[in-house]
Amino acid sequence: MQNVMGLGLRVLNRVAGLPVVDRLGLRPTTERWIYQASKTGFQAATLAARQFKATQKLLKPARLPRAARPELFDLTPTDDQQALKEAAQSFAMEQLRAAGQQADTDGKASPELLAQAAELGVAILGVPEELGGAGSERSVMTNVLMAEALAQGDLGLAVACLAPTAVSTALVLWGDADQQARYLPAFVGEQPPVAALAVMEPRPLFDPQQLDTTATRSDGGFVLNGVKTLVPRAAEAELFIVAASLDGQPALFIVEAGAAGLTTEAEPAMGLRAASMARLQLGNVSVPATALLGAGAAEVYDECIALSRLAWCALAVGTSQAVLDYLIPYVNERVAFGEPISHRQAVAFAVSNVGIELEGMRLLTYRAASRAEQGQDYVRQVALARRLCADKGMAIGSDGVQLLGGHGFTKEYPVERWYRDLRAVGLMEGVLLV
Amino acid sequence: MKALVSVKRVVDYNVRVQVKSDGSGVITEGVKHSMNPFDEIAMEEAVRLKEKGKLTEIVAITIGGAKNEETLRSALAFGADRAIHIKEEGDVQPLTAARAFAAALKKEGAQVFFAGKQAIDDDANQTGQMVAALLDIAQATFASKVELDGGKAVVTREVDAGLETLEVDLPAVITTDLRLNEPRYLKLPDIMKAKKKPIETVTFADLGVEKGAALTISKTSAPPKRSKGIMVKTVDELVSALKSKGLV
Repeated sequence: MQNVMGLGLRVLNRVAGLPVVDRLGLRPTTERWIYQASKTGFQAATLAARQFKATQKLLKPARLPRAARPELFDLTPTDDQQALKEAAQSFAMEQLRAAGQQADTDGKASPELLAQAAELGVAILGVPEELGGAGSERSVMTNVLMAEALAQGDLGLAVACLAPTAVSTALVLWGDADQQARYLPAFVGEQPPVAALAVMEPRPLFDPQQLDTTATRSDGGFVLNGVKTLVPRAAEAELFIVAASLDGQPALFIVEAGAAGLTTEAEPAMGLRAASMARLQLGNVSVPATALLGAGAAEVYDECIALSRLAWCALAVGTSQAVLDYLIPYVNERVAFGEPISHRQAVAFAVSNVGIELEGMRLLTYRAASRAEQGQDYVRQVALARRLCADKGMAIGSDGVQLLGGHGFTKEYPVERWYRDLRAVGLMEGVLLV
Repeated sequence: MKALVSVKRVVDYNVRVQVKSDGSGVITEGVKHSMNPFDEIAMEEAVRLKEKGKLTEIVAITIGGAKNEETLRSALAFGADRAIHIKEEGDVQPLTAARAFAAALKKEGAQVFFAGKQAIDDDANQTGQMVAALLDIAQATFASKVELDGGKAVVTREVDAGLETLEVDLPAVITTDLRLNEPRYLKLPDIMKAKKKPIETVTFADLGVEKGAALTISKTSAPPKRSKGIMVKTVDELVSALKSKGLV
């Protein structure tokens, strides 16, 4: 148990004590990555150039076995998860945090940063070893911890970095042998494709179970029509998974970006600006019969929605943690009326409430993830987590701005950006999967 | 060419270290530990040299209890091929560590011993030098640039007066300074792959190492707290305040 507490403290300490880092000069926030342009590189031109084709023949689809189930109910990360989380966190706190504001202003993440994130290998982690990935078991919990760690650096950038992973995860979970063999090798290659999961539609009271986008059967395939909204990095994406109604039932379709009739239009929003959200228009887009994911089963689509909601909870937890970690030193150092503002109860109580609410969000999220991982029913747990993370995430963002006083309102401090980003949590459907 | 790289598990550089109430040392329980940052630089240099084809095998080595395995796993994720865990509980002082590393270096037949110039816990800055002395081999400390070529190493080192470039015969000890490189981020798949790399466990007895003469720590204390200053209103007041303290 002591070890467990130690691990927890280590994570907290990692974020604290920045002056010490500065003094020793051990970790400059400058580029620390060994960026090998030749190895991973990035090219603007891959969009049209890539041909997805099967490089190996699979007899049956490769799936990750379920993670071993501990005897006791325990939400403590395992040693492996802890090591992965620390590695992701160190990247997030140094690189994503530093790049957050610029990406927000530009409305996009820099290609260098996205290439670095791809090198970090989140996508590879979720792909089975037999397909060239590094995944040995399916762990919703590990994916939640990764999303949380990255969002602790910056939420918008975390979405930009993780968006392609949603597609690779969907293929691992629901793709058949041919779909996996055709698309997954690219995700573990040296230049993973940009890909996005498009579920939302631009209309009031959007319900993911009632889609306006339709798929109609045609000769040997489907024709898709409709509009998807808030699709991350859609303009540069090479591959989409699109939710559309087939025979009145929502289903998921693999759509390659080169398909005729597919257009994108930038759709900058209040938050998540770094993720370059765009509208995706499908006008008579023909896809082959093999594009239907998971045989169009209702369980597949339901699981997709639940796992994406869980992913948004994880992001909310990460960014809310960033707010709390920003607030504590601020209120202890900011002096007004001759003493630190944390001496005022109005301030101290507000900060402690953020801490309490955040812990509640984290526990509900981990519990839902843990149940999903163990194959137990988790729909209710996801619903609870989503409600709490949406409400409290927004509130924590708002409190962060409020407690920083005038500073909170300015762009000199990252909290206003986190507030704007956290507003997305209750709104978003799809985009990411854990 | 094989390199041995020593990695030490220390209290993380971000932690605000606290002294134990009885003054016998600092609190290490429940505190985040990580690889000594200078050792990370040594690891990074070895991996870069291997990527350049100058080294063929990297062996990470550490001394300490069971938890040190985490540090070795990090080293393996960095790019070490395998690891040696000298499993010994309790305090290990520089001479003892140097004897163990010297024995391991001999046993492995490694041509280069890389280590951080010092560990950030005791800041002893002795182990690397002692390993060289015990084996009577060359040493190049505080390296800010390392080149390996054939049987020689050319090392630029940071000294008080500026930079000094040494050419040393191998085998040699090279200790790494801050500006040598910037260690990479660990890639997540490499962390998973590191689980499959071998860690050999040995003891001082296996290596025929005797503990060196023990230094005893008589007291550990926190730096004195800065006392609160006073505000004076005029220059005269300042002068008289300084005079009253006998400072002018």
